[in-house]
Amino acid sequence: MKNVRVWFKKDDACRYISHLDLNRVMIRAIQKSRLPVWHTEGFNVHPYITFSLPLSLGFRGERESMDMRILDDNLKLDVIKDELNKCLPNGLSVFDVTEPKQKPGAINTAKFKMRLSCDNISVEELYANLQNLLNADEILVDKKTKKGIKKIDIKEYFKDAKHYDTDHDIVVRVILPAGSTTNINPTLLINALNEKYGIEVYYDITRVDVFDAEGKSFE
Amino acid sequence: MIKSKLEKILLKVQKPGKYVGGELNAVIKNKDEVDVRFAFCFPDTYEIGMSHLGMKILYSLFNSKPYIWCERVFAPWIDMEEQMIKNDIPLYALESMDPVSEFDFIGFTLQYELSYTNVLNMLKLSNIPLKSSDRKELTNIVVAGGPCACNPEPIAEFVDIFFIGDGEEVDLEVIELFRECKKQGKTKDEFLYLASQIKGVYVPALYSVEYNEDGTIKAFTPKRDGVPEKIEKRVMMDMDNSYYPQNFVVPNVEIVHDRAVEEIFRGCIRGCRFCQAGFLYRPVREKSVDCINEQCHTLCRNTGYDEISLSSLSSSDYTQIVPLLEKLTEWSVDENVSLSLPSLRVDGFSDDILSKIKSVRKSGLTFAPEAGTQRLRDVINKNVREDELLDTCLVAFDGGYTTVKLYFMIGLPTETMDDVKGIAELGQKVVNTFYKSENRPKGKGVKVTLSSSSFVPKPFTPFQWEPQDSIETIHSKQAHIRENLTTKKISYNYHDADTSFLEAVFARGDRKLNAVLLKACEKGMRFDGWSDCFSFEKWMEVFDECGIDPHFYANRHRSFDEILPWDHIDYSVTKEFLISECKKAYENQTTPHCREKCSNCGAMKHKGGVCFEKCKSMV
Repeated sequence: MKNVRVWFKKDDACRYISHLDLNRVMIRAIQKSRLPVWHTEGFNVHPYITFSLPLSLGFRGERESMDMRILDDNLKLDVIKDELNKCLPNGLSVFDVTEPKQKPGAINTAKFKMRLSCDNISVEELYANLQNLLNADEILVDKKTKKGIKKIDIKEYFKDAKHYDTDHDIVVRVILPAGSTTNINPTLLINALNEKYGIEVYYDITRVDVFDAEGKSFE
Repeated sequence: MIKSKLEKILLKVQKPGKYVGGELNAVIKNKDEVDVRFAFCFPDTYEIGMSHLGMKILYSLFNSKPYIWCERVFAPWIDMEEQMIKNDIPLYALESMDPVSEFDFIGFTLQYELSYTNVLNMLKLSNIPLKSSDRKELTNIVVAGGPCACNPEPIAEFVDIFFIGDGEEVDLEVIELFRECKKQGKTKDEFLYLASQIKGVYVPALYSVEYNEDGTIKAFTPKRDGVPEKIEKRVMMDMDNSYYPQNFVVPNVEIVHDRAVEEIFRGCIRGCRFCQAGFLYRPVREKSVDCINEQCHTLCRNTGYDEISLSSLSSSDYTQIVPLLEKLTEWSVDENVSLSLPSLRVDGFSDDILSKIKSVRKSGLTFAPEAGTQRLRDVINKNVREDELLDTCLVAFDGGYTTVKLYFMIGLPTETMDDVKGIAELGQKVVNTFYKSENRPKGKGVKVTLSSSSFVPKPFTPFQWEPQDSIETIHSKQAHIRENLTTKKISYNYHDADTSFLEAVFARGDRKLNAVLLKACEKGMRFDGWSDCFSFEKWMEVFDECGIDPHFYANRHRSFDEILPWDHIDYSVTKEFLISECKKAYENQTTPHCREKCSNCGAMKHKGGVCFEKCKSMV
């Protein structure tokens, strides 16, 4: 038996499915593929899979990962990739299968690419608003936690964010805390924009990569 | 176009995955390479519609023809509907994302009377004229089938063509005819007339209705020569060779019945007198064990589902049930696939079956005795005895089950308060049985749930002439059950009487109700099957404004010689048979099921199925 890490992209129609739905879709793909995946032995027998870091509904993911155990040690990793791809819906595609080098707990930050636009105001105006917001002394937003809603300042997290405008939208690139301890959702910035300027910003967010504490890509 | 508009609203609605398509096994074709585009509309949410077997069969069947592209459309939930209207997005099909108004056919499956407003609302969201007479061109042909098509009259003015009976053949014949008519440049009227010549096709525009002064029907007549007076249903007699999908569209988001489904037979031998399906789908036609086994295996392999449901109206009546379960478990256990058997009868529940179903997973048990006393069960011809039910419960408790759900109907013909009390008493007897079980799970209590719905008299049943109990009477009967419960081990819940009333109105309605539905649609009513949306007051307002008395349809006793709104539709079961069954009900007399003795209902004319099982075994 060996552990494998399945690397996949989540996009298109599958952008709109929740983490629980993703779990179900993956289990069915494994079942359909007939790959020798280890199943739980409990009351409700199913293939045992774990995701390194859940992705919010609506986000695209370019380097998502899922771990599972393969019963056949000799099975080639490429075969796993190909067989799974035959069984996945549009929008989920496996681009690599590796031996896991780190534990999911090693994940410390995630890199996001955000595209922002707004129907009511011009790109220039939105860009000016964003700059104003990022230059303010503090950016206070409501964050939902297990204990309820808390006001936090996200200024520090977005201080290194890079942003530029295109013809029709604004692109923000930012690395935010992610993983088992602290998580900062990039939509907090959108909430701050909406609240401060009374606008409705439409967003398209991609999680580009996840990193360990040293800033190296999670493997 | 629609796609880019959608991206902006999808994150504002719940479960956006329902509105984007892209599922495994969804069929994508090139629209320029097909002759006919068919929008298969399910007039309810994605979660309900995607669970529906009929849609899966027809979707795959249509798409198996290279010249047809069939796509799926569901009713958007109210949050999505609001966003679509606000952003000027018309109703679209999930495969191509093209507006429904671009389709040749717009097909609805009618599963439930309270979805009629959704049919209209979906046409409205598609910007298609609601009335058949306002759609003049040979495009956007609105067709409908399914059990509620047995009385098409309440929605006859909105639908161009109804399919009566099994759809596998007749639907394709009509689509093929359309393709020809389009090629030849025929008009919609010409097409409709030609369609009416096909067996199983009902074109309401070709008939006129006259009424008596009391509101009942005086005459129902074809408007043109050559239009059939009676529309006979279509039946697939050879189930093994009937089309069955090898593939289901596998949803990415969770739906109500998220599993593979295999139809093991069509029809029901029992003839419970309240049950419309039991009469509409006669005669019983079984698939062979080998056919079912192969179809199940293929489906599981192609979808990745790890659960398969063996579907029918009464699964334990399948003649080869134990050999079938044995055959299925030969591979299902190894492949981690579990089997479920819905619609089990209490008398068909054996140790043998039990052990096969629970070999992988165990869930609660559900039975439907339907009535609380033997007398009333005889009236409705539900030939289940109390000792059988309790024996079955004992088997189940011995086998480790601790929860039992019992379904009943209240408001059945001849019902007395003693019959109603009998429901509570039966619940108590099941609780007592648990404590009689020697092998019952130790340290666990028993949970019995009694659930009651209100009886809705339906066309093509022996009770089609019966009045429905008034809402007040239903309420007092519900209270009577509650008062007679003495233990917390029994919980009681009931189906809302208001919605059953509306169901009864539309189930046996006539063409005058089209105006009511139109008005309801204008007022923005839809999703009446959902308590979130249903408003009894609003409906009463609509009836009032249209000058229609709903009680005329729901609570009136009809005489046997009255012309009923659905009398021109022929489901093979004769009116004489239904009348004799109705009379027997009032004499507390039961009728044996089809395998015990033929009661000459009329279905034998199809020359197959259960009617000829004995002949086959004699050869």
